Amino acid sequence: MNAREIILEVAHLFGGYEEQEVLKDISMSVCRGEILVIVGRSGCGKSTLMRYLLGLSKPWSGAVHFEGEDIWGESMDVLRRSRARWGVLFQSGALLGSLTLLENITLVLNEFTNLSLKEMELVALRKLETVGLADFARSYPLEVSGGMQKRAGLARAMALDPEVLFFDEPSAGLDPVTSSELDHLIRSINRTMGTTMVIVTHELASILAIADRVIMLDGESRGIIAEGTVRQLQVESSDRRVTAFFGRESLNASGVTSDVNGSE
Amino acid sequence: MSFDDKVRSTSAGLAFCGFLKAPDVSLIRSAFADISLRAKQHVVMDFTEYDGMDTVAASGIYEGIRNLERAKIDVYMNGLLPRDQELLASFRRHEQSLSAPRRSWSLKDHFEGVGDDVVASWETARGLWVFSKNTFSALVRVLTTPSLFRWHLTFYYMEHAGVRAVPIVGTLCWLIGTVLGFQAGYQLKSFAAEMFMPDLIAYSITWEIGPLLAAILVAGRSSSAFAAEIGTMKVRQEIDALEVMGFNIFEYLVTPKMCALFLVMPALVLMADFFGLLGGLLIGGWYLDMPASYYLSRLNFVMLPIDFWWGMLKGLVFAVIIANVGCYMGMRVRGGAAEVGRATTAAVVTAIFLVIMADALISLIFMEIRPTVQV
Repeated sequence: MNAREIILEVAHLFGGYEEQEVLKDISMSVCRGEILVIVGRSGCGKSTLMRYLLGLSKPWSGAVHFEGEDIWGESMDVLRRSRARWGVLFQSGALLGSLTLLENITLVLNEFTNLSLKEMELVALRKLETVGLADFARSYPLEVSGGMQKRAGLARAMALDPEVLFFDEPSAGLDPVTSSELDHLIRSINRTMGTTMVIVTHELASILAIADRVIMLDGESRGIIAEGTVRQLQVESSDRRVTAFFGRESLNASGVTSDVNGSE
Repeated sequence: MSFDDKVRSTSAGLAFCGFLKAPDVSLIRSAFADISLRAKQHVVMDFTEYDGMDTVAASGIYEGIRNLERAKIDVYMNGLLPRDQELLASFRRHEQSLSAPRRSWSLKDHFEGVGDDVVASWETARGLWVFSKNTFSALVRVLTTPSLFRWHLTFYYMEHAGVRAVPIVGTLCWLIGTVLGFQAGYQLKSFAAEMFMPDLIAYSITWEIGPLLAAILVAGRSSSAFAAEIGTMKVRQEIDALEVMGFNIFEYLVTPKMCALFLVMPALVLMADFFGLLGGLLIGGWYLDMPASYYLSRLNFVMLPIDFWWGMLKGLVFAVIIANVGCYMGMRVRGGAAEVGRATTAAVVTAIFLVIMADALISLIFMEIRPTVQV
């Protein structure tokens, strides 16, 4: 994994809200084409880290590099150029409520391409089809279910065929079945299009289903306490906080339990 | 004496049976009230036949026991389940923390509160200033790069903030013109000076009331609407989404609103002037028997074109204030839906406050530059 090209890198990042430090000396990297999952318990700073990765907030100190360039460098140009190659799915889907699902996607295309309206709609419909929502193109976000909003958000995030997709709690508020469908979709997009993905979540089922590599944050130490594949974290880690996080699942999922037993 | 099958009076105290639940609390209370009248030095609570109690019933029993203890009566428990012993012990613990002195009011806190408010107001003013500068630079970009101008959004807001405000602005200005004409006529009549009523209407409506009333109504309708719209988008992370999709928030969300108000406010002011003057005309005819031809020729005599232009210029300044304040308050929303409500209120209050401040300032300048009309 280490031999692969690093696309996004965080170096010695400190940050937080007002006086309260949430993240302390975070250094991590994302390799091209992998699915990196950032996990941790509620309030450990996952979403804050995501905001820094996306350039929505400026860190107190430290840097975020996209393809070697500091996104908070001299001018805002790097950030602007980087964002054109990113897609983001927010927790709620964050679709514009006043536009239909189709219009939500054509809005992005209209802003960044020279396509005609018909071409934009064709692209948008294709994207909606990818997430199984072609029949709902003319619906407004509030007319479809939460899971559908998420999928439409994903379609919009993919509108410009981004190189990196960011997900903030993709399974939040979804039932287990819908959530696993979304996981499946994420996995298949990664496989077919080679999109790099950075996912923030605390859903164990999702982590087990999609993660190539996991980074675990901890609220108390405000830093990364573990990093590696799911298997490494589950089986090899001796950190109490890591085993506590993954322990619950190894009791539930019989496959994993036998795996652990087998390795012992 | 038996209160129910669940609580019985015994010679030594009370005996409980079955499982004590929330609806039994009143029984428990009256049983304890009864025993406190009869008891001498000690009572025995017999729990040997009971099956347990829920938290609400336990609180009733605890309070009863405490009342007996306060009356210097020793209470002995017999057969209380360990789980419920723990429950009553926890009440005893929590009662101590309840009786701990609460934070008392002090003069220092009061001054600190005032200080915090001042700092917060200062922060708001500074934030608004920075926001306005950003809006202005976005506006310059949009106006110099026509492809960035969002016509459909501008038209949308022109309709909602402007066209739809026409009935209420017209009606209210007409009413104010009428009332003003009536009151001026009533006062002037006693000096036999009612022929000057048109002068008074003309100046008060075009200099102050027309622009101000239009601005206050637009602030009430649109400033709050802008704050609510942007605030809701903020709560739903739509703003973050737009930002990471590469949209410039100011160009996409703020400038169309600003341009729309910029285009409709002068027109609304002109219309407010017209309806206000019309109100004066009608009341003059009805109350003062003033011919419409006299009223109009008097207006023509005392008014200068600058009276209208200046009012419309005020309208432009008010448009900037209202759009900026509305959008800024929306953008400041953090957290949940309740914040959106606060933001809309703050938007209206701040917008009207600043509109009146600006009005006072502009009126002072106007008094300096307006040529005098010899009456």
